[in-house]
Formats: sequence, structure tokens, C-alpha cells
Amino acid sequence: MNLRDSLEGFLPPGSSVRFGELLLVRADTGPIMMCHSCDADRSDLVEICGAPALREFGKWSDAGEYRPLRTAPTLRGGWFVRCADFGELLDHLDAVYPGSVATTLRYLNGQLDPVPLRDTLDRQTGMYRFAGALSDHAANQLMRELCSPGCLRKIAWPIASSSPVARLRVHGSAIPLICTEACTFAVSEARRLAREAYDKANAPVEA
Amino acid sequence: MPSPPSDCALLILAHGSTENPDSSQPSWELADALQTSGPFSKVYCAFWKEEPSFRQVWSMIEEREVYAVPNFISEGYFTRQVLPRELGLDGPTTEVGEHLVHYCDPVGIHPTMTKLLVQRARDLLPGDLTLSEVSLIIVGHGTNLNKQSTEAIKAQVAAISAWEEAGESFGEVLDAYMEEAPFVADWATLTRFPTVVVVPFFIADGLHSYQDIPVLLGLETNPTAAASQQEVFRRNPTSLQGRTVYYSSAIGTDPAMATVILDQVMAFNTTHLS
Repeated sequence: MNLRDSLEGFLPPGSSVRFGELLLVRADTGPIMMCHSCDADRSDLVEICGAPALREFGKWSDAGEYRPLRTAPTLRGGWFVRCADFGELLDHLDAVYPGSVATTLRYLNGQLDPVPLRDTLDRQTGMYRFAGALSDHAANQLMRELCSPGCLRKIAWPIASSSPVARLRVHGSAIPLICTEACTFAVSEARRLAREAYDKANAPVEA
Repeated sequence: MPSPPSDCALLILAHGSTENPDSSQPSWELADALQTSGPFSKVYCAFWKEEPSFRQVWSMIEEREVYAVPNFISEGYFTRQVLPRELGLDGPTTEVGEHLVHYCDPVGIHPTMTKLLVQRARDLLPGDLTLSEVSLIIVGHGTNLNKQSTEAIKAQVAAISAWEEAGESFGEVLDAYMEEAPFVADWATLTRFPTVVVVPFFIADGLHSYQDIPVLLGLETNPTAAASQQEVFRRNPTSLQGRTVYYSSAIGTDPAMATVILDQVMAFNTTHLS
């Protein structure tokens, strides 16, 4: 199944669905509307035209800070876009959540399997090679303190291949954004935590 | 040269940044331009430090055949190790899942870059200036940790110097670096002409082109804003140490980089698919 058909399966005529911080609304006829889910009842929204403009909009938080992680729960509101078809909708979703839409749809269709954290960390080279030394305890700390509060995606990957986790599913009218592999932020944090633990374990003993 | 079939996808691979909002912008702009006017069914971007990541992007691509072009300045750690590893590539052409992937050379080593560097420098200068009285400096990062890091720039400097053409040529063409000799900070002693034009050989206007190099040149003292918020590229020329200095934004921000990407795809076809 291609991505457009897959997306259409979640949004039949006359329905709406939440996707991350987005609300997608499809009337029986006409364009598909997209806005911030907090703005469902507002009538003063400003239209954003085109995926490049939406991508640029999503680059900045309300405080004017750069949002390198687009799945952080800091998407600004006050706007809407209209999409003529599911191809356009896919382009606009990619502008807000680059890569995460396809990942989520492929995962939910059973076309994409999660990659265990150990596999991701163990293949790192250069300055990130040290991330492979992350303990299971620190891996849980990473998920709890970095991923969970800082990202909308639901973790689908296990720490090790020997400890598989249950597949995530759609509940009600919200499609969860799904994380099938630790991202660059998680790998960087894994390296930092592993380095910190190493330095602590090897600190000179004070007399 | 054979063109790519119209049902192929183009994948632009770049570094991106978790700190610099301008880092991925040139790649996105090239993708948007090539989506509108290029020969590809669809154009995608993927990044090392932003999203979509190199690992995510295969889920997005629905075309069977894909040309992957690194939007990198030189061959090196990223193009030889990181990109093949993350994308699952093992040679010029690789089957990756349902995709047939053609892995092209990075943009920075294509001969078209030479013309682009010269054009970029010329466009900065007034039309009535005598080019033979101008020093052109191509600036790179450089590092004492990797002797190969300056190869691409040295090759471009040699190519510009040797470029035979009917028109005027620059009085001298030099390479200079931030972290190894010849140092860009020594530009005044390295050059001998009254006008100096400086072109950073970087893909994006990151910290180096809008903060570090302007400070090393003496154009700025304590810059803080992102490149897109700064005036350093827009107030040419500047009088410094008795010279007239013109400073360009990073070469990778030039819209003509779209041509370089297409040329790398054509070069791949000529080398591997003819």
C-alpha cells in the first residue's frame, strides 16, 4: 500500500483525526484541512500556502527559538492549510513532521520493524562510538528524561533485540507518531551519559 | 550524457544541524527548485543532524530508482563511512529494500563547482574592476587531524588558476583555512592586490561562514545572530588594512548548485550506467 492510500485509510470522508499536535479534518467534499489541534474552535486562523512555507513556519517556536526536533511538543498554532488531495496532505505533513509520517504509516502497516537501541548505538563510529557503552540503566534514564518529555513520538524500539516490546496500535481518533529507531538527539545523549558514567567510574580516588 | 528516467527520485544528503537554523536551508531550497524544474519524479532531502534522517528516508521514498547525491564539499568521513553505513549502501549501485540506489559523488568535487566559484566571486565585484588586480581566496575549514580535508579546496584553486578562458582572470587565487596554514587570519600578508574577494567553500552559512571567518578576516568582532539575521554578507565591500574586501556567503547557498547536483547525476550515469 502506498503512503497516500494508507493515509486515506485513516481519514475517510466526513471524519477527523489527530496526528501529533495536528488536527486533520476531511469533510464529505472539498479540501482536507489541517491546523494545530488546539485551534479546532478558532475562526481567526491564518492560511499558510505551500509545504515550503509550512516547513519554515515549523522551524521556530513561539519564543523564536530554532526547533531542530520537529516532533517536539512546541508547534506553534494560529494557522491552517488546505490540501486538495492526499498527495498534498502528505507533503504538508512531511513539512511539519519530516520523515515521521512515513515511518508511522509503514510501521502501522507492518512494513517497518523497530531497530533495537543497542543496534543503533553499536554501529556508531567516530565521536559517537562511545555511545555503545551506555548501560541499560542509563538507556532507561534516556527514554524517561529526554525522549518522553521532549518528543511526541511513542518509542517502539526495545533496548536490546532479546527484549522485544509489543507493537503500538492506533486508539480512537488519534494516530500516534511512532519512533522506530533512536534519533540523533538520543544517540548524542547516549554518548553523553556513557561518557559521564565512564568518567565517574575512572575518577582519581581522593586521599 | 544520458538523463535520469523521469520516474526516478533524487535524494539530497546533507549534514544539517541541531544548533544552526540555516544549515539545512540550502538543501531544502535546492530540493524545492529541482522538484519544480528538474527531471525527477520526486525530490527528497535527508540529514545527519536533522529530520528526515538518513535512516528514516527510505520509508518516505516510493520510487524504485533513486539517485543519492551528497551535498557535501569533499570526499571524506561522511561520504565514505557515515552515509553508506546509515543508508545501507555497498557500492555505486545498491539494492536497498525495494529501492535501486545510485550513490553519486559529492557536489564539491564536480568540475562545475570551479565555474560556480569564479562566477560567485565575479558577481560580488563591480563590473568595471580589473580582475587581474584582485586576489581571490577560497576558504575552507582545514584540520591538522586529517590531511585529506583540504584536498577539495586545493583542487579547486588549481583548477581556477589553470582555467583557460577568453576573459580576464584573477590576479591570484589562493586557498586559506581556519585551523591550518595558510591561515585565513593572515589574509593581508598572503595576498598582494588591492582588492580581495573571499568565498567560503562550505555548503551552508553555518557558524564558520557567518561567525568564525568574518572574525578571522576582521569584518566582525563579536557576531551572535544566525546568518539569515546578519548583515555581514550584505554590506560589501569593507575597507580593511588598506584593502577593499568583498565577502561572499557560502558557495553552497548559490541557487546554481542545482546544476551541480544534476551534473553529478549525469556524471554517475556516464561513469557507471553507460
